[in-house]
Amino acid sequence: MTAPRMLAWPALAALLYAVPAITSDPYVLHVLVLATLWTIPAIGLNLMMGYTGLVSLGHMGFAGAGAYLGAVLMVDAKLGFWWSALAAALGAGLLGAAVGAICLRFRTHFFMIVTLAFGLLLFSVFNNWDDVTRGAVGFPGIPRPPAINFGETTVRFGPLPNFYRLALTCALAMLVLQWLLVRSDFGRVLMAIRQDERLAQARGVNAAAYKIAAFALGSAIAGFGGVLTVSFLRVAAPASFNLAESINAVLIVVLGGAGSLAGPALGALVFVALPEYLRMAAEWRLVVFGTLLVLAMRFAPDGLAGLARAAAGALRRRGGT
Amino acid sequence: MTRLAVAGARKQYGGVTALADCSFAIDRPGIYGLIGPNGAGKTTLFDAICGDITLDAGRILLDDADVTGFAPHRLATRGVARSFQECRVLPEATCRDNLCFAMQPKGLAATLRQAMTRGLDARARAEADRFLDLVNLTRYADAPASVLSFGQRRLLEIACTLVTRPRILLLDEPAAGVNPVLLDTLSAAIERQHREAPGVMLIVEHNMEFIMRLAGEIIVMHQGAVLERGTPQDVQASARVVEAYLG
Repeated sequence: MTAPRMLAWPALAALLYAVPAITSDPYVLHVLVLATLWTIPAIGLNLMMGYTGLVSLGHMGFAGAGAYLGAVLMVDAKLGFWWSALAAALGAGLLGAAVGAICLRFRTHFFMIVTLAFGLLLFSVFNNWDDVTRGAVGFPGIPRPPAINFGETTVRFGPLPNFYRLALTCALAMLVLQWLLVRSDFGRVLMAIRQDERLAQARGVNAAAYKIAAFALGSAIAGFGGVLTVSFLRVAAPASFNLAESINAVLIVVLGGAGSLAGPALGALVFVALPEYLRMAAEWRLVVFGTLLVLAMRFAPDGLAGLARAAAGALRRRGGT
Repeated sequence: MTRLAVAGARKQYGGVTALADCSFAIDRPGIYGLIGPNGAGKTTLFDAICGDITLDAGRILLDDADVTGFAPHRLATRGVARSFQECRVLPEATCRDNLCFAMQPKGLAATLRQAMTRGLDARARAEADRFLDLVNLTRYADAPASVLSFGQRRLLEIACTLVTRPRILLLDEPAAGVNPVLLDTLSAAIERQHREAPGVMLIVEHNMEFIMRLAGEIIVMHQGAVLERGTPQDVQASARVVEAYLG
């Protein structure tokens, strides 16, 4: 990797952290927080879909499982935020492993249908188990993460700029985790399974175990993202984790570029920010958005990350190096 | 000790008998040719040895241990490697990465631990490059395998099986679709690797010139069972073999 490219990532991260200093517009920050929060489950789905080839249509169900587990632990069991978040991620991961073990008996579109069914099932649990999830009215009173002391200064996560920086830190940590997993031998096995499962098995890969591991990891990351999201919204509502949201997660991954490291972040940013920008189109907003998505599929099948790579390649050729 | 043994293997597909009481044993390392007319059951036998299909009856023994019904990945960890008739490589991975994938540890716990501690092993990369050189693919080391011609892809696939130094190597029609120049590269690579790390190589092949030159012993299959076995000279002289081929 060349020096300018190595510096590009820290520079980009620094710029993202500096956004609240550049603009104090709460609307912009709110949209950015939502995009950052979407990035986390999208990373989980990218590991499953982009790298392993497992298209799940129930992904946000697992984010919801983590969110509700975290909410119960924080509000009912009075456990601390970070311990609850950790337990929620583990819980969602275990649920993912268990559900994955069932779903992975099916392949391709059958697999997708079974994940969709599990997503619907989890939604009904959130929506109807009144004693635990508070049902359709939502689970209120979820706290923000506790304040952190940096020497003299105390950072509280109530104010929007601070929560934005926290969400950004969490999303960046998940991006680093994704990078670690993908560049490793583990990641190479996942990609081999996506490309040719029979070959991978002939070379000694226990494909079922790896696919369950990918499902569990993806669900755990989604569960963590779910906790962070409901902590931001201060309420867990079943509608945040329904089928439409699961399909949105798939759209984000595809739009950003399935199987690329930056894809989930790019996809989440455009997916959340673009409809906001399109508000000038009023009630035509979603029609325009849908049309743009179709055009993106047609002209950028590798997503925004693929588009960026192609542009970088074209620039390099023009530079003559 | 028996390296590889097939005892009384049977397999039916509907009304078609692919394997009918097929038995043979291989005791010594060497290059063995497996020939026979189309439909003799050669690929079915391969699939059975690799665990891709389950036999209706019969057993597969590896180093005297019964491995009948083992899943492909378990057999692979016991040193069985194969190439596919239709030629399988990872199309999106670079040629070097195809070899790295063949060499790397496959256990879930091991790879997950490795993910958090270090990246690509420099020694593994050097070994991958050595094997790319062996099959004349050094120029394509960083290119995705999908850009290779069919013959080159075949060479890459076989390099991937050789790099693991398998105890039992099964090659399914390695010469099919490979042009004569690459064919010499291929047999040289197979022979060289066999000298360096002797194991059992069982090669299904229709190219008689290629297999008769390469193999020390030929096993002839016909109608799902072993018809004849011997040196290339003996087999070519056998009246039964000639009859099976000419019908």
